[in-house]
Amino acid sequence: MKNKYKPYVMLIPVMIVILGIFINGLIMAFIQSLGYFKAIGLTEITFKYYKEVLTSQGFLSSLGFSVYIATISSVIAVVLGVILAYSILRSTHRKGIEEAVYKIPIFVPHIVAALLAYNILAQSGVVPRVLYSIGIIKDQSQFPSLLYDKNGIGIIIAYIWKGIPFVAMVVYTILSNINNKLSQVALNLGANNRQVFFYILLPFIMPSIFSSFIIIFAFSFGAYELPFLLGPTSPKALPVKAYVEYTNSNLANRPYAMVINMILTIVSLILVWLYNKSFELISKYNR
Amino acid sequence: MRKAVLIFIALTLIIEITACAQQKVAQYNLSEKDWNVVLEEAKGTTVNFYGYGGDQKTNNWIDTYLSNELKEKYDITINRVGMNIDEILNKLLNEKQLNVNNGNIDVVWINGENFFTAKENDLLFGPFTHKLPNFNQYIDKNSVEVNYDFGFPVEGYEAPFGKSQFVMIYDSEKVKNIPVNHKELLQFVKNNPGKFTYPAPPDFTGSAFIRNIIYDIVGYEQFMDMEADEQIVREAIQPAIDYFVELKPYLWKEGNTYPSESGLLDNMYSDNEVVMTMSYNPNHVSSKIETGEFNETSRSFVFDKGSIGNTHFLAIPYNSENKSGALAVIDYILSVEAQASKYVPKTWGDLPVLDNSKLNHEEKALFDNINIGKGTISQDVLLNNRLPEMPADLVPIIEKIWMENVPKKGE
Repeated sequence: MKNKYKPYVMLIPVMIVILGIFINGLIMAFIQSLGYFKAIGLTEITFKYYKEVLTSQGFLSSLGFSVYIATISSVIAVVLGVILAYSILRSTHRKGIEEAVYKIPIFVPHIVAALLAYNILAQSGVVPRVLYSIGIIKDQSQFPSLLYDKNGIGIIIAYIWKGIPFVAMVVYTILSNINNKLSQVALNLGANNRQVFFYILLPFIMPSIFSSFIIIFAFSFGAYELPFLLGPTSPKALPVKAYVEYTNSNLANRPYAMVINMILTIVSLILVWLYNKSFELISKYNR
Repeated sequence: MRKAVLIFIALTLIIEITACAQQKVAQYNLSEKDWNVVLEEAKGTTVNFYGYGGDQKTNNWIDTYLSNELKEKYDITINRVGMNIDEILNKLLNEKQLNVNNGNIDVVWINGENFFTAKENDLLFGPFTHKLPNFNQYIDKNSVEVNYDFGFPVEGYEAPFGKSQFVMIYDSEKVKNIPVNHKELLQFVKNNPGKFTYPAPPDFTGSAFIRNIIYDIVGYEQFMDMEADEQIVREAIQPAIDYFVELKPYLWKEGNTYPSESGLLDNMYSDNEVVMTMSYNPNHVSSKIETGEFNETSRSFVFDKGSIGNTHFLAIPYNSENKSGALAVIDYILSVEAQASKYVPKTWGDLPVLDNSKLNHEEKALFDNINIGKGTISQDVLLNNRLPEMPADLVPIIEKIWMENVPKKGE
């Protein structure tokens, strides 16, 4: 009986922080999203804010923009990340440098990534300047507009740059621990490298591919700084929209911000659930 | 375990909804206090000064000049905390919700719609300005700019700090004919496609540019007592919205996107991506020339129908623990020396709030001898072309109408 409660007792310090601050904040946000905000005199509980937000054109285009950015950047990052991990695994010379270098973007904060993207890709950035000086473009406006654009290419590139190493790191750890003999047996029996990758390695790494996809998807869906710094005026990504609503000087607007926050939270919870499922899959494979 | 979590959540819900018993903020009876008593109480204390911290010069002025003088005169220590005003308001609002009666903000730098919000929600202490000796001696108490902040009555809840005015900035090497009204601006932008833009609201500067254009097209008088109703505002500003839509295709990136902050527009101006920028600080151009970010040939101008000016203020939160210290600090900021030091472009370059007719000869000379620097328009010209800000509650409505009508059109 004692042993049964021991883990919970040991978890108390961290749970106080999580429940006390995080859950508390969530509950407050939820209450305010229902239009209950006593400090400014709103006391009627209503779903009208949800209704208004969910039917507004501005919200729907923001939601679409966020989903679009998160999906494209995560898919590309996962594909390239797996290719990177596989090529590091296959390379024959000493791996020390490669293993260290590819992880660098993981340590770089997103805000710095935004600055890098701005310095390199803006129409007054490094790339257009180089192209200009070697005569490929004649004016800075000839360089395609990658930042502040509705297609969000600048944001996507920055997320891919941050995502690839993360996926590669997760996948490479699994890849390098797979028993080498399995591949050798297959090769011995006449399989080519492609078949070895698709029929032997891929099934092993599939669950970790899936879980790393969910992590970077959830991040790029819910993060604020990159779309704020590199995104267009309209549509705004969902977190940016929530922030703009939140900082609106008219406090009666607060419930709208909280509705958007609740929707972001719900999407994240669904992703966490999927993440858990993928872990069940992993443990099934390991059995 | 699950049950425990559920009970916990239910409990917090109940606590938050019923919001613990109301406590009263410690009484501070200003009317019965003599000014010397206030100074006595302020002595040896620390005053937490909260406000926008994104400007190096402003921070520097508070950290060096103001701190040193206050330490010497009243033995007050200034602790400046740089924080955006929306975060300050949220902090105060949260403290009010949770009945925190010993807040650590003593002086807050505020104006416009934020003051409106703060005063409407009883987040401020006051009225207090009638107690300040320098306010009584040097400030024109009948001035609209002292009594109204973005059209909203001040009623002694904030004291003027400085004045600013909206100016357009251009490079005199590249732009020969300055567009001095909205029609000329449209022609100018058509002649230089892709070389002009403005920050998107809710950026402060971009929002001011939009209001200035609205004033230029439909005049400012009608807005002074306009009701904050979306339909009424929409009708009033419709010609201006049409103008922005007409302007749009000739803007940077065909007006499909706008810089999200005025700092970004300054960068684009420095990089020659655009040929004009703008600022709500008339000294912006000379300070940027001094740091080398703008060309030596950069100059500023205002539209011939005038440009928007506003006054920024200092207020005291309702739950400040050191109200006496806050009063002493605000009073000192209204002194002639402090206002003059603040006006020097090298230190900050903020327009003074004192009434010129109340200054004696020497005090006037103090201001006249200040060199205002390259590209800046003189105080006289600015004040002669000064238009009042519109009521604060119209601003978010205009921003919303702009957002719905301008960037999305033509998709």
